[in-house]
Amino acid sequence: MRHGFRMSVGADPGAVEKVNAALAGLAEANALAPDVRRSVTVALDELLANALSHGAAGRDPCSVTVEVELDQERMTVTVTDDGTPFDPFGQDAPDTTLSVEERPIGGLGLHLVGQLMDKVSYQRRDGHNVVVLVKELVNGKTQTSEND
Amino acid sequence: MQINTRTSNDIHIVAIAGSLDSTTSPEAQKSLDAVVAGAKKVVLDFSQLDYISSAGLRVLLGAAKQLRASGGKLGMFGLNQSVKEVFEISGFATILSVYQSEADALAAM
Repeated sequence: MRHGFRMSVGADPGAVEKVNAALAGLAEANALAPDVRRSVTVALDELLANALSHGAAGRDPCSVTVEVELDQERMTVTVTDDGTPFDPFGQDAPDTTLSVEERPIGGLGLHLVGQLMDKVSYQRRDGHNVVVLVKELVNGKTQTSEND
Repeated sequence: MQINTRTSNDIHIVAIAGSLDSTTSPEAQKSLDAVVAGAKKVVLDFSQLDYISSAGLRVLLGAAKQLRASGGKLGMFGLNQSVKEVFEISGFATILSVYQSEADALAAM
């Protein structure tokens, strides 16, 4: 069985909340593990905030379509926007070893996405940025819980 | 998101429930700024925090910088697995003071 949703949002207040609510509903209806729901929610928050907010990563705000598919094995999220070409995974990784005083505020979001998801990909296709995120439901935890 | 603040002796305990993300962070920032402006010892109670994204991390880093600059202290406890994971990926687990329990956090202030 496949479940999911598809929705388009613009740069209006509450856009990210609408997507969050849809994701929470899907998670609840399918008894999704809380850790998976949380990781995907954080990843989506990063990508949407980046695409929808003024000046984030030097981009203009644009409209975004979010498509979420859930099957027995994985959750797949496709985020498509019509903004200027931007590869969220082609950025330099932030230095996460700096102290409180040295740390710049910001620059962490896209790094989080790459680390929280099991697979990420970016494509520029027909004038759109297409980002695909995959979170495995069964083995997805193995690579992120090693520091516990 | 809900924010409740209480004090124990001279320690301000700020409980943040729900999510700290791009939607809720502006409000969290206001609340936390107000607390940090008048306090030297601040403990964040994350026991009802569902998840945190980089927008929330920014708010925490801002509070940590302010308190560090004014000679104050910031601690936190009650992180769930998801929040811990974000802290570890971002390096916040090593630069911020994270405690196992409220008692540990209060004792360290």
